[in-house]
Amino acid sequence: MSFILNGQSHDIPPDWADEPLLFLLRENFALTGAKFGCGVGICGACTIIVDGVPARACIIRAGDVDGLSVRTIEGLAKGDVLHPVQQAWLDHGVAQCGYCQAGQIMSAVALLEQVPEPSTDDIDAAMDANLCRCGTYPRIRAAILSAAEQV
Amino acid sequence: MRRRAFLAAASGGLVVLIGAGGGVWSRVPVIPKRPDPDAGQALGWIAHMDGRFTLTLPRAEMGQNIATALKQIVCTELGVEWDTVDVVLHTTDMPRVKATVGSESVMLFAEPLAQACAALREALSAGHVAGQVRVTPRPRADLRAFRAGGLIGSSPEITQGRGIVFGAPLYAADVRLPGMLYGRVLRAPASVEVQTGPLRWNPDAARAVSGFVAVVEECGPPIGQAQGLGIIADRPGTLDAIAEALALEWSVAGQHPRSDIARAIDVDARLSTGALPHVVLDGAPDDGLWDVDMRLDVPMAAHGPIEPRAAVASLQDGALQVWAGTQDAFYIRDFIADAFGLPVKTVTVQSCRIGGAFGGKTICTVEAEAAALTLATGNPVKVQWTRAQEYALGFHRPPSSHRIRARVAQGRITDWDHAQMSSHIMFTAAVVPSWMQRGTDMFAGDGGVARGMAAPYVLGRARAAYDTVRLPVHTGPWRGLGAGPNALAIESAMHEAALVAGIDPLAFRLAHIADPFLAAVLVRAGEIAAWGHVPAPVQGLRLGRGIACGTYKDTSHAAAVADVAVDSQGRVRVTQMWCVHDCGLVINPDQVRAQCEGNLIWSLGMVLSDDLPTAAGHVAAQTFADAPIPRMSDVPPITVELIQSDRPPQGAGETAIVVAPGAIANAIRAATGRRPVRFPVRAEDLAT
Repeated sequence: MSFILNGQSHDIPPDWADEPLLFLLRENFALTGAKFGCGVGICGACTIIVDGVPARACIIRAGDVDGLSVRTIEGLAKGDVLHPVQQAWLDHGVAQCGYCQAGQIMSAVALLEQVPEPSTDDIDAAMDANLCRCGTYPRIRAAILSAAEQV
Repeated sequence: MRRRAFLAAASGGLVVLIGAGGGVWSRVPVIPKRPDPDAGQALGWIAHMDGRFTLTLPRAEMGQNIATALKQIVCTELGVEWDTVDVVLHTTDMPRVKATVGSESVMLFAEPLAQACAALREALSAGHVAGQVRVTPRPRADLRAFRAGGLIGSSPEITQGRGIVFGAPLYAADVRLPGMLYGRVLRAPASVEVQTGPLRWNPDAARAVSGFVAVVEECGPPIGQAQGLGIIADRPGTLDAIAEALALEWSVAGQHPRSDIARAIDVDARLSTGALPHVVLDGAPDDGLWDVDMRLDVPMAAHGPIEPRAAVASLQDGALQVWAGTQDAFYIRDFIADAFGLPVKTVTVQSCRIGGAFGGKTICTVEAEAAALTLATGNPVKVQWTRAQEYALGFHRPPSSHRIRARVAQGRITDWDHAQMSSHIMFTAAVVPSWMQRGTDMFAGDGGVARGMAAPYVLGRARAAYDTVRLPVHTGPWRGLGAGPNALAIESAMHEAALVAGIDPLAFRLAHIADPFLAAVLVRAGEIAAWGHVPAPVQGLRLGRGIACGTYKDTSHAAAVADVAVDSQGRVRVTQMWCVHDCGLVINPDQVRAQCEGNLIWSLGMVLSDDLPTAAGHVAAQTFADAPIPRMSDVPPITVELIQSDRPPQGAGETAIVVAPGAIANAIRAATGRRPVRFPVRAEDLAT
């Protein structure tokens, strides 16, 4: 079993195949950007992109990404050059505690790849299942709108 | 390195036994120590070497972005470039600092830090590069950091912001160590105030699960009275399968006597048995009929941080190192040393960025679990609570029940009576055992429940009093403590009193305000929201606008206006909010705004959704679906205006939560003619 992780092929260790993909990424591959928040796919803190679609790593069996392409927040920047969504997040001072933001950013990246010029309704629809307790939602909206101008 | 010698850390003597009568010995729990910071201590937070400075953050970083604001203070007072100062989060190797609570980080820590930096600046400019620096405190007016201009009043990129957008390992659960295992401590699905513990389990079935490492019976102190059973695996996802295979049976020492929580805090039932013991306002309202007489009930609520609390512990050469996302690393250290009989100097706690705390990550739970499992196995162990554990084993905003009354004559409130029944906040049952709580109940009351109960108005003959009852679910500090629910009750009553008086609610409030700073934010909120403007009707919707104002901890002020639309089925949408905020001199306006925005969204939750369901004396919620928090589509356009002020900086993390819930509730009243009295509001109560 193998998958493409941020552009590079990796084997899925057999004893990790039944683990949630989130833990394979965090504990085996040391990609700790995606977070554990609820374990049942409700909060979105573990959002990654699988074959172009935003997905919840906490409810995907690791073995089930065999042959698929997985992108995590660690794969967004090109060296020191930030992805426009990352830059917009900094420009708008979005993060408070920051814990949900990797998931928010990955959902936003997936949205802009599908809908390059989203309306605020598009944003609300795409982002509504990514929870943030600090209340950064207004800034997430604003950051996505300004990133859309850069993408 | 230029650094004052560390003060001796207070420690030792924490484990003492005292008599509690009848030959029963009760162990005194470890109680958090809360020393205020001073400038001498602050010298320990700033270090200089070869032209670079390191700020060891004396506060926990949990999204208030205090790392940024205090770095602004440091750079300004030292007169150095932004990039020459590195910020690191503290460990318990430094002298004790108080817990990061109460919106105090700028209010209490900015000046000592600035004094220390001013002293260091002078020493460096005099050519001193070694030895001790002495701080001679200077008048605040002489400190550069307390004058607007330059970095003060600007909003640089937030510290750790780049790490957040890169997904860097900043949080406790991100720590990875060689040989690390994954643990969980299972506890009974019952009240944490009832003695419970593991009775029988199937070790063979657990052993058969791939990835199983151990079952650990010595798994640390109970949470409340819930003794656990530890399990360890070499992969985190395996823990669920092991827990299931164990088929644990629990011993449960009966039902908690106050399992019916709503009944236990029913203020009217309590008032029928006599006066409430803890008096906040001691006026004597006249007997007779009241113009306003309402009962408001606010339920239990979870903090709901997206990060379930986590810790990693590691034992090396007899020294225990713990990585924790905690509001009080020193308390965690002291608690663990006490619980496991370790010398305090052998325990070090590294504070990590916290993934949301809101008052809820002040106690020692998951950290002691990780320590116990590490001590049992010798391996480093990571423990992160499940979402269900967060609900079941954390403490929560207590439910509160309010009876609030007002009498109005000639446009003024002449008599006022606010009675509240709640559960403990400061003297939380999560830390304070019941025998000790009986003492605090008798002599001290609970300042957390009292917070905000003294209305910020001149109210004639005004009485406010409360009582507390220990509940089967732990309660404690939650953003704003009692001030949020108290202000919701007060602002609801003020609106009703204004209606009785036939006076506009803004003008009515102004007539009762003595504090010019509070009056100023109220007037300004009216201006920016065009108060008095009547929105154009929308077919099928009832529209309303509400206003509220308030003061948090005596010194920071806010006012809010909210617009709502209520449909025929009674569903409420907040369509716009405005907030004016005065927290004195603002160090970082963008992040103060962020705190206001967060509070406004918490206010939406307080009125429309916050509720933590319980059943049979324990929390019934398992996931966010059972205890929903606001989502993006709930959030309307928000306008925040900060008052420019040269008052010393005050707290900003909890102020707006005392005003926006009242504004929203009053808007619902204006839209529907119905006074929300039971929170969260229910659509069926507002349907046409």
